[in-house]
Amino acid sequence: MAKPLPKIGSRRNGRIGSRKNSRKIPKGVIHVQASFNNTIVTVTDVRGRVISWSSAGTCGFRGTRRGTPFAAQTAAGNAIRTVVDQGMQRAEVMIKGPGLGRDAALRAIRRSSILLSFVRDVTPMPHNGCRPPKKRRV
Amino acid sequence: MPHVHLCLLLLRPHQPLLNSQRNINLFPVWTPTSTAPVHLRPKLLINSITCMAKPRRVKMVAKQIQRELSDMLLTDKMLQYAVLPVAALGADRYLSSLTTISDVEVSADLQVVKVYVSVFGDDRGKEVAIAGLKSKAKYVRSELGRRMKLRLSPEIRFIEDESLERGSRVIAILARIKASKDNVLDEDDEFSESSDSPQDDRDWEGDDPDDIIYVK
Repeated sequence: MAKPLPKIGSRRNGRIGSRKNSRKIPKGVIHVQASFNNTIVTVTDVRGRVISWSSAGTCGFRGTRRGTPFAAQTAAGNAIRTVVDQGMQRAEVMIKGPGLGRDAALRAIRRSSILLSFVRDVTPMPHNGCRPPKKRRV
Repeated sequence: MPHVHLCLLLLRPHQPLLNSQRNINLFPVWTPTSTAPVHLRPKLLINSITCMAKPRRVKMVAKQIQRELSDMLLTDKMLQYAVLPVAALGADRYLSSLTTISDVEVSADLQVVKVYVSVFGDDRGKEVAIAGLKSKAKYVRSELGRRMKLRLSPEIRFIEDESLERGSRVIAILARIKASKDNVLDEDDEFSESSDSPQDDRDWEGDDPDDIIYVK
């Protein structure tokens, strides 16, 4: 799942991992996974190593309120607050999944002091692979 | 006597036409001394009977339609091209505008569906997206009928939804007031800012593209 980082015996890689609190990253990637019941916002660097994350559930909402756009906004706000203090200016946003969190989190990111460079949609699309779950009967 | 008529009407809700014919034949037999009001009242009752689903089922159908439409927006090529014709299909999914279905309202008889669509992006992208969706309403209706098992596939109307944008603006104003309250503890300043906020709303509509710095 994680990209294999080169485990050469260079002290620089190990040191950065342990000193992650003082890492200054001007450009990062914000992943927003918006399902119908929850929204998870993860801030990583350009390579994909996670810096901080937040979700509607960890922001104190439970149950049906996790899926609301307001919860997505607070989750995005929380995730960005830690990173803005570290000095991130530009970010690319990757959106995954349907759900109200897509729009709401984007608006929250736009209204903060982070510059959006790109917005991409990375919803996983099978080239007709696994069988999807059965149809819900209504 | 009228009670029995009501029972007859309720017994067969699926065939209102047949019911009306039978009852009109029956009335002279059952109420030989009936006067005009008795004839008129049941006719009004017959005309007002339609098949209404239970409210819980209406909600379930609405939720399912929302899931299906969101899935269609993500996977269906024709819809994506209608919403975002700017060669998004060839440009590795770098989007200029993002369309989300924020709400679905279904009428009580499951015939009319109002889909509230919220578009993130500039004004032109919004117009293009909404116009594209409205032009594909019939296609969406047929796709929905194919995907969902409903007796009659409902008529779909797309409506633009400003509520998410308004909500985010209100939250930003509230955060700004809170921040200024922390900075300035003077109560007069607070009152003057809260009274300025409706004007700020109108100003912000022009400022939105450049609005990066206001809220921290």
